[in-house]
Amino acid sequence: MMAVLRSILLLGLGALVLFVMQHNTPGYGDITSPIAIRGKAGERVEGHAFAYGAANVHLARVVKTESFGRVRDYSSSGVWLIIEGAAVAKKESLTLLSAEWLSPGGIRYALSQRFSTMRGGYLPTERLEPGLPKPVLIAFELPETAIKGGRLLIARSALTPLGEELWIDLDQKAQLEIKPSITLARGSGSMPWTLAAK
Amino acid sequence: MPIARRSKLKRRLPAMLVTGIGGMVAAAVSFATAVYEAANPAPVELVKKDEPIDTGRWLVTINNASMAAVPPTGTKPVDAKRFLTVDLELDNRSAATSNAFMRLISIEMLPSIKLPEPVYYLARDKWIASAINPGMPEKVIAVWEWPEGSPSPKALRFSVAKQIYKPRDNLYGAPGWFEDGKAAIVEMAVSGQPDEAVQ
Repeated sequence: MMAVLRSILLLGLGALVLFVMQHNTPGYGDITSPIAIRGKAGERVEGHAFAYGAANVHLARVVKTESFGRVRDYSSSGVWLIIEGAAVAKKESLTLLSAEWLSPGGIRYALSQRFSTMRGGYLPTERLEPGLPKPVLIAFELPETAIKGGRLLIARSALTPLGEELWIDLDQKAQLEIKPSITLARGSGSMPWTLAAK
Repeated sequence: MPIARRSKLKRRLPAMLVTGIGGMVAAAVSFATAVYEAANPAPVELVKKDEPIDTGRWLVTINNASMAAVPPTGTKPVDAKRFLTVDLELDNRSAATSNAFMRLISIEMLPSIKLPEPVYYLARDKWIASAINPGMPEKVIAVWEWPEGSPSPKALRFSVAKQIYKPRDNLYGAPGWFEDGKAAIVEMAVSGQPDEAVQ
């Protein structure tokens, strides 16, 4: 009788332990998520395979692209966040395919793919060579509430488990002004684009 | 020695029988439920146009369907073509930007007509749509190139798929969105018949 009671008790305890572990241990997604390398805007953030530095941050209601004399307007129900920066590969040539904006509420916004006509300098289209820093452009389309307290995440690919990912906090002290419009045009010389805010 | 072994087997026999029969019963019940559910699918809700449909990951509203000779880009194709354009409103309710809406809506038709995959245009840009952000509802136009030789439809049935979120999937235990049958069916008339206009 005692033996039966003891085995039932042990079985219950085992089920309880398994239940608690199921709900409190990190899941597969957490275990294999990219490893964060923290940094700030305005400084060079070093990964093992690449480095990135965010220089200028702009906010705008409308983005206009100018290409071969044709102007296209890109409106948004939110705000455009445009980050000018530079990136460099360190060991081998690579392309940084994943840039995301993590809002303070934990929502991930992917890089905007709407500028398909403006190729020059856009981060996922630029091939980076070791030791040759290149200017790169990043653009997000975000709800206004997602900007304050958010951070920029940059990785080689969004799918690589345990890859490295730069987590870049933008300077939140200076409140950025939302400009009515920003015009992106093809640049000349070393800069692949020119940016003019109105 | 042999007597002891036999008695051990005798003692284990009930346990082996219980697990064996129990396992077979469990397999039979699960197979029978699968067969029963396949034979009696849950009825799919019939929704009117302009009504939002909750598909789990998305809120979808089908506003209008019409036949057109020009795609939303406004560039007329060289050879005359017919396009079925469907106006949609999409709201991404998940925690990440996604383009999964492109696999959400299908047209229920006779199997004799082979429809190509639709192209999605962002109404704001009149250009090919990319992924849609959470919390930023967008108007999107789905465009099917209507096959040559088949008559323009007067009315259509759109089936809207559903997706569910699993914090742990069955293979890796990774979080993700998975297909989960149909959310609703929308029946609506198709306006703007270019055939009639031409004749």
